[in-house]
Amino acid sequence: MTPPFATPLPTTTPHALCGDYGEADGIHDEMKAADGTIRPHWQLFGQQLDAMGPAEIARRWSHGQRMIQDNGVTYNVYGDPRGMDRPWELDPVPMIVSASEWADIEAGLIQRARLLNAVCADLYGPQTLLTQLGIPAELILGHPGYLRPCHNMPVPAQRYLTLSAVDLARAPDGRWWVLNDRTQAPSGAGYALENRLVISRALPSVFRDCRVTRLAHFFSRLRDTLRAMSPRVGENPRIVLLTPGPFNETFFEHAYMARYLGFTLAQGDDLTVRDNKVYLKTLGGLRRVDVILRRLDDGYCDPLELRSDSAIGVSGLVQAAWAGNVAIANALGTGLLETPGLMPFYPGLCKALLGEELKLPGVATWWCGQPKELAYVIEHLHELVLKPAHPGAAARGLGGKVIDAVFGDTLTQQQRTEMIGRIRERPEAYAAQESVNISTTPVWQDGTLMPRHLMLRAYVAAAEDAGGYIVMPGGLTRVSNAADSRITSMQRGGGSKDTWVISDTPVSTFSLLTGETGAQVTALSNDSFDLPSRVADNLYWLGRYIERGEGLVRLLRAIVGRLTGDAQPTAETDLPMLLTALDAVTVAKLGKKPEAAAELTPEQRVLSVMFDPQSPYGLADTLTRARRLASIVRDRVSLDTWRILSQLDREYQESEAELTGTPPNVAPLNMADMTDVLDLLNRMVITLAAFTGLGTESMLRNQGWRFLDMGRRLERAVNSIDLLRAMTLKPTGHEGSVLDALLEVMASAMSYRQRYLAVPAALPAIDMLLLDETNPRAVAYQIAQLAEHLDRLPRQSTGDSRRGEDQRLVLNMLTTLRLSEPARLAETGGGDVRDALAFGLSALHAQLPALSDAITRQFLSHNAVSTRLGQPVAVMAPALTTSADPEND
Amino acid sequence: MRYRITHQTEYTYAMPVSVGHNQVFLRPRDLPHQHCVEHAVNVEPAPGISNLRTDFFGNQTMLFTVQEPHTRMLVTSISEVDVTPRQPPPPGISPPWNRVREAVRKDNSPAGLAALQFAFNSPQVAMFPEATEYARQSFPEGRPILEATLDLTHRIFKDFKYDPTTTTISTPVQQVFSQRSGVCQDFAHLQIAMLRGLGLPARYVSGYLRTFHNEDDPKLIGADASHAWLAVYAGSGDPAADGWTDFDPTNDLVPGEHHIAVAYGRDYADVSPVKGVIIGGGDQTIKVRVCVKPVESQG
Repeated sequence: MTPPFATPLPTTTPHALCGDYGEADGIHDEMKAADGTIRPHWQLFGQQLDAMGPAEIARRWSHGQRMIQDNGVTYNVYGDPRGMDRPWELDPVPMIVSASEWADIEAGLIQRARLLNAVCADLYGPQTLLTQLGIPAELILGHPGYLRPCHNMPVPAQRYLTLSAVDLARAPDGRWWVLNDRTQAPSGAGYALENRLVISRALPSVFRDCRVTRLAHFFSRLRDTLRAMSPRVGENPRIVLLTPGPFNETFFEHAYMARYLGFTLAQGDDLTVRDNKVYLKTLGGLRRVDVILRRLDDGYCDPLELRSDSAIGVSGLVQAAWAGNVAIANALGTGLLETPGLMPFYPGLCKALLGEELKLPGVATWWCGQPKELAYVIEHLHELVLKPAHPGAAARGLGGKVIDAVFGDTLTQQQRTEMIGRIRERPEAYAAQESVNISTTPVWQDGTLMPRHLMLRAYVAAAEDAGGYIVMPGGLTRVSNAADSRITSMQRGGGSKDTWVISDTPVSTFSLLTGETGAQVTALSNDSFDLPSRVADNLYWLGRYIERGEGLVRLLRAIVGRLTGDAQPTAETDLPMLLTALDAVTVAKLGKKPEAAAELTPEQRVLSVMFDPQSPYGLADTLTRARRLASIVRDRVSLDTWRILSQLDREYQESEAELTGTPPNVAPLNMADMTDVLDLLNRMVITLAAFTGLGTESMLRNQGWRFLDMGRRLERAVNSIDLLRAMTLKPTGHEGSVLDALLEVMASAMSYRQRYLAVPAALPAIDMLLLDETNPRAVAYQIAQLAEHLDRLPRQSTGDSRRGEDQRLVLNMLTTLRLSEPARLAETGGGDVRDALAFGLSALHAQLPALSDAITRQFLSHNAVSTRLGQPVAVMAPALTTSADPEND
Repeated sequence: MRYRITHQTEYTYAMPVSVGHNQVFLRPRDLPHQHCVEHAVNVEPAPGISNLRTDFFGNQTMLFTVQEPHTRMLVTSISEVDVTPRQPPPPGISPPWNRVREAVRKDNSPAGLAALQFAFNSPQVAMFPEATEYARQSFPEGRPILEATLDLTHRIFKDFKYDPTTTTISTPVQQVFSQRSGVCQDFAHLQIAMLRGLGLPARYVSGYLRTFHNEDDPKLIGADASHAWLAVYAGSGDPAADGWTDFDPTNDLVPGEHHIAVAYGRDYADVSPVKGVIIGGGDQTIKVRVCVKPVESQG
């Protein structure tokens, strides 16, 4: 029962979350005014929060957090003990800005984007800023981010900034100030979108009633702009999002944005430059790239002409841009504008370049490259924030870390002296800013609202027809992690918030757009979804690891089932065989004799394979690899698929901690209850089946699917052959029960009983598990599927009309299987070993790795390593001084 | 004097290179005292595409891509250059160095800016206090800048040993300074760091040097190498000159008719004669042959 907007809520609200929220203390609070009242644009939200109460909020928020986890929203923090993929920190209480205030911010942001674009165009062109407008040359020409190879490079429409960001903070007087500019490859827009998605789902009615401005429009405009930048007019442009790769802190966002905008996610290795044009290396060959939305910093974009100490970029990219064959957003060289050293000059430059007063003030900044400013900074360092004006040079030294800001008041006397020494050594590399008492906003903590400092990152995109730029209505709000901390960095443990721009008057003209329900993020269509070879490789291995995991889980379940009391009476005979099979698919793969394993009890062996990360081919290792790969190709797997993997991981991690009493990734020391282990394995079988189901039912039958499936088929064939070799070669007196176990592990028990209605016998079982192409668990079925995939994949046309090596191998295997006589395979031929079967299986066992290698060579080896050529040193020896030198005579 | 310069750079690879992107700075500059009469670069295998560009410092650079699989690449540059004798300004009457330091910081003209940019740190040359201290001995307040620089050049020549075994392409200047040895490129970088440390613009010059071994001795053909030295900015007092004067710390002299300048940059990284990024290749070897030969001028 949502109350209509105009009706005040009952005054007998049972909760007083907002009322109890902090006292004003001279700092501007976003929600509460100095007189203790709730600001108008927060009132509706506050009432709804109070009406909901702490318990309900907590309940809803646990859903929100689950969503973050399931969607795999992560942020990589270097050196974090939790390692990669740290869950994204989001607060359920949004940051709220009124529409009227936002209009001012918006106008200021648009002006700033125009100004910075003009500054960039001048610095990379005529340089009148330096020759006429008094910008110190040292600040620009001494800046390592001034890319000389990009000077005078043609930039279409002089558009240097396509997507930029500004960090804003509010001072005690209520004004918003600019703290930083992010001009080359700003991060966070994707997180802002994901935050919106989570909050709007966790608090749907609040979100609806508060009439929050939607974000989707901003992204579709950005996409239009990027499309229009393509140098090939009239062609459907191919746009890639260039990422540094999965180890980058915001890789999640790169994949998310690529998927959302319908661009291909590419690493430097996926691109190549030929004939001054940029190409994407796909399975089908090279595909022309028209526009690059980069998340790679300037200097790393081209190892040939820019920073040569890194190979993550695209060699030849600068020349391709010079030739006008590719559009890069933002233009190369724009990182220069991130220096705080330029901030003090913007009011003057705004007048000179735009003929306007600067609307959005920058926080007071002193660039130390000027003597007066230097003197001021040295004298007032204790009350300023010191920042690097040249990147990297920065604050290195205090604890050996590079940090982006040093708060002068946190320095000891000795540190301050040391810092001043550093500044004096290279004054041009530093700038200092006024330390602003930035505003606070409520965050949700243990059932109450607590004030935290905030910084708002706002985003501006170029738009063809909207006066040049449009602003994302909202942005990424970041909050400090403690009440007294002013640092709002995700890298250092702060949190984030959704940002709502809402109308603060009931009679607003704001309309709830018809047909738009909630903040559904509609993925924009993607029309350029080429499959880079690297991604195909990753999908192939993801398929292999998932299948390996499933094979292991099935085998382990069969073993544990026999270890827990309710096992079949046959356990005595089939358990040893199953344990042999377990060795065959794990330790034996390393070529080790499973001697050490023999000393362990069956329970210990099971637990080791399940939980010991050191266990070769063990479950822990396999799942880690699968998850790692899935996170790299997350722009290629569906959200549901991703969720299943998350769930699998969670089930496993939680059970591991419970069952072994040890934290994750520590080898279990004590015995766990086998019934609980069985329970976990049962759940995992179901989750893995869900993965397979989604794979088969909801993935497009495209090349990506083929590689994922080829990986699965190949791995299943390998696994099945290992099992068959372990359990069928030497028949025992109790073969029926062993075969029964094997049929169970290979998920064919039911099919067998339906067909034969009898205790398993060797001949039909071998036929069913090895040769039967109608049984999706049989080896022959896997090989037949592989053959079909390989025939359907695109091949670069060569003069050679013969089948590829991979096709010949798979055909050979398939033919051998088809020509096999089941009766002969089942024979023991007088001895106690099935010789023909042993021979056939070991041939297959050897051919499968060869096939995998052939597939890699055929499709996946485009990504040869790029290296720098050795450079000739100028080594001329003294040559003139010992000779007759007419000049010196 | 006219020179014919042959400069070959040969790469061989253990495994095929599928594509190689390269950038070369091989064309001698045209200067008041130097004129490049002829210049051609030949690459084997033939590049799929080749581009010429004038860089930020006014050097001509060529960018090319070898797009066919290859295990060897040979870059041959042949240039004919006329070099006329020049009179270096008499060191004693050049302006005091500290005045140059102040003046260049106030000069907003394009020429002033073009000079000032060489006063800052650059990719391979970082100033450091020990180097500045070392230089200061030659730079008492008020001393004419060229006289002081000549003295510094002489001291580097005296105090540092030429030894190609002690440094590589990536040896930091600081190490060259502490070990007191290196090659021409290291000495140029070091003196640049010292001059910049004093606040003076100093630039790197990549080029060639005529040697005086017996030119008919077949053993010595190709024994030359590319050379490097530096130039210091003494202000734009003389409108006929650009304000820059060259110094060669490896040979302890002011370059004249026997030095052929190819490219100017902040340091080696800006004007490396040949650089590239290849896909594939495995182990590589590089061989450089340079021959600087005086020829009869055609008139």
